[in-house]
Amino acid sequence: MFKGSRGYIIYGLGFFVVLEIMLVAAIYWWPTFEQNIPSIKAIAAPIAMLSDLVDQVDQFGVSGYIVGQHFFKGCSALGTAAAVLFAANAVAGEAHRGTMEIWLARPVSRLRLMSERWFGGLLVVIGPVFATSVTVPALLGMFDKTMDMSDLMRCSVHMSAFLAAIYAVSFLWSCHSSEPMRISFVMLFISVMIFALYLVEGVTHYSLYRLVEIKVFMRIITKDAMNWTLLAPMLACTAAAYGLSVRAFLKRVP
Amino acid sequence: MSAVAPNQAASPPSEAAGGVHVRGLEHRFGANQALHPTTLQIPPGGVVGLLGPNGSGKSTLMRLLTGLVPLQRGEITVDGVRLTGDGLSIRRRTTYAPGELHLYGEMRGEEHLRFLLRGRSGADLERARMVAGELELPLKRRIREYSHGMKRQLLFAAAIAPTVRVRILDEISEGLDPAKRSQVLDLIDADAARGTTILLSSHHLGEVDRSCQRLVFLNAGRVVADESSEEVRRRAGRLVRLRFAPGALTHSSAAALEGPGVESVEEAADRVNIMLSSDDPREFLGRLAAASDLPAPVSVEHGRISLGELYRTLYGVEGT
Repeated sequence: MFKGSRGYIIYGLGFFVVLEIMLVAAIYWWPTFEQNIPSIKAIAAPIAMLSDLVDQVDQFGVSGYIVGQHFFKGCSALGTAAAVLFAANAVAGEAHRGTMEIWLARPVSRLRLMSERWFGGLLVVIGPVFATSVTVPALLGMFDKTMDMSDLMRCSVHMSAFLAAIYAVSFLWSCHSSEPMRISFVMLFISVMIFALYLVEGVTHYSLYRLVEIKVFMRIITKDAMNWTLLAPMLACTAAAYGLSVRAFLKRVP
Repeated sequence: MSAVAPNQAASPPSEAAGGVHVRGLEHRFGANQALHPTTLQIPPGGVVGLLGPNGSGKSTLMRLLTGLVPLQRGEITVDGVRLTGDGLSIRRRTTYAPGELHLYGEMRGEEHLRFLLRGRSGADLERARMVAGELELPLKRRIREYSHGMKRQLLFAAAIAPTVRVRILDEISEGLDPAKRSQVLDLIDADAARGTTILLSSHHLGEVDRSCQRLVFLNAGRVVADESSEEVRRRAGRLVRLRFAPGALTHSSAAALEGPGVESVEEAADRVNIMLSSDDPREFLGRLAAASDLPAPVSVEHGRISLGELYRTLYGVEGT
């Protein structure tokens, strides 16, 4: 367990490396995928949601493939795990280890202590999303393809807002709890359930992962603008959870 | 000559710089009343011992004083500053060493010292390093390799080094060997001699006896006694303890011991504790010899009672 700014750097770097490896692997596989789209469509045909995903990639080309692989798959799945694990451990972890008293006993305001941890953890979660997205044009260059950097940054903002909301809700729970394992287990279980819902026809619209599906990112790319209808509620949820976390943390007994 | 504002002149010494003033403080954890309404006035300077059995409210009181436990009811003024909000203004003016010994095992001693002294000056950190050096703490080693006593000393070094007027030390010598304990107490005494106010909770009555000028006894969340250690010593010289054979003592027989020169009589199983009004027991012993209704005591103790025994007898305070 690494503490302080060194911990944020190490964990952030770790998350970046894993995301980047997944991105490189996905881009490396793009030519094969492109060649085999008809076969993949045939395989995905029995599952309507899966078939829809392949159709979107087919329709939008390499951009659809990248937002699907990088944002919808990589950042969503790994980012959710990182957000939950970081947030769960942030406050409840201190209480669980019994170190909360020495953490709070120093002449530093509680608001500052909590905010440092909140924003530090958030940076670890969303920083690698942006950092890996920056490398996309260079990686695509290997296959004479490219993507506009401003599109990638807008997609990263949208993806980060989604992860921030998950992070903020997990952090809020952490402020009320002394059991980081329970928070992690329950939040990850719920996330997997919600992700699974996405692939089930009929209930797919109940899945929160609809907020970060390929269509959403492609709309951001084609319209050259953020999707505020989706972004605003995610930011509002994050802000509300942050406010409630501050309130809980100020009253927290070590 | 500088003029003194009327409101300053009216303030008790405990509300002045370096003092600790608590009025009507109470705290509840759910249904459990951890601290009943408590008023405490500690003037600047000296070591005040906070004594009481486990769960008596000592640590809760100390945490309340530093704002670690949010204030529910009452007023706290430390070093002339009223506790408000999260208690930051108080924590800037005090140091606090918690009784619970949980540190970050992955950090090295030096790094942990810096962590504990965040928000303090570089000079404070340097002094803490010096204290740690005096205590022979291996600051390059990881905390997980530290013994229980070494961890305690690290907390002590961080609490004794900063330049503040008030220190709150919870069980600071717990787990230390006699030599280290003595070294720690020497540092506390030297600090108090410079005018620092130190609130010290301890189960080790020997160190309380050695260092504290005033003793506050807590039991079940209430202050049951607040007196100078000199007064406690005088009381030790006025206590007579009688022990009887099991079952020999009847409920009414102890009443025969009451009379002139006796402040109080307290029965506990086969023992009777008598507090005399003077340290001369002859009048009382004469009456004891003449009390034919009373069975013959197995032992009579007077004048050899240690403070530890006195605390246990009077207040049920556990300790060594």
